[in-house]
Amino acid sequence: MYIEIRAVDVVRVPPKRLGDDLQVVVKEMLQDKLEGRMDKKIGMFIAILDVVDIKEGRLMIGDPGVYYETVFDVLVFRPKMQEIVEGEVVEIVEFGAFVEIGPLDGLLHISQITDEYISYDEKGAKLVTKDTNRTLGVGDKLRARIVAISLNEMDPGDSKIGLTMRQPGLGKLEWIEEEREKEKEKG
Amino acid sequence: MEEKREKYTKYEKARIIGARALQIAAGAPVLIKTDEIDPIEIAIEEFEKGVIPITVKRDK
Repeated sequence: MYIEIRAVDVVRVPPKRLGDDLQVVVKEMLQDKLEGRMDKKIGMFIAILDVVDIKEGRLMIGDPGVYYETVFDVLVFRPKMQEIVEGEVVEIVEFGAFVEIGPLDGLLHISQITDEYISYDEKGAKLVTKDTNRTLGVGDKLRARIVAISLNEMDPGDSKIGLTMRQPGLGKLEWIEEEREKEKEKG
Repeated sequence: MEEKREKYTKYEKARIIGARALQIAAGAPVLIKTDEIDPIEIAIEEFEKGVIPITVKRDK
């Protein structure tokens, strides 16, 4: 889920930039520092929106730069447990599918895709079910639920988000449509 | 948290001029027109002209 939060942090303005407009430099330093970075508790920083307040600059011994404590609004991506997400398959592997949700990828383990028997078709790079002959391949859009989250601050790409589709209302979008049509015909 | 313009202690003066000289040496823009080339001399001249944007915070 994407959220806008108000946060506080300290940035260092390098000496060469001391003559520039403070709002501009501080925002730039915040962007350099935070955008693309992951925090375990907050989430992934996507974009600095506004610099709300800049406190008085402080000097440290031996450092020509100036440190400013600043309050700012920032757009953050925070995956939540049990959250329903829609994403696109970006890779099919033997043990499941990687699904792109926001700036991160989630893993849909092969055992979490359908209730029926499903196997890996190496040649077609797809996952195929045995009975209904449904397939899941790269580019497919689906709806899943987040069931496991493990965020890695050091290496954001290494973060693990576990997904499942074995619940009513979840699955490849086409399958959901098919189920809905079937329900309509019955009733 | 008072600002003292009339009389800085010698320690405050040294710290201000020193910090400013360090900034100048590292490439910060100089606030006066001068023929000086030494960062400390430049800082001293800025101090005497009263243009250094550094304030002193005292606990009393």
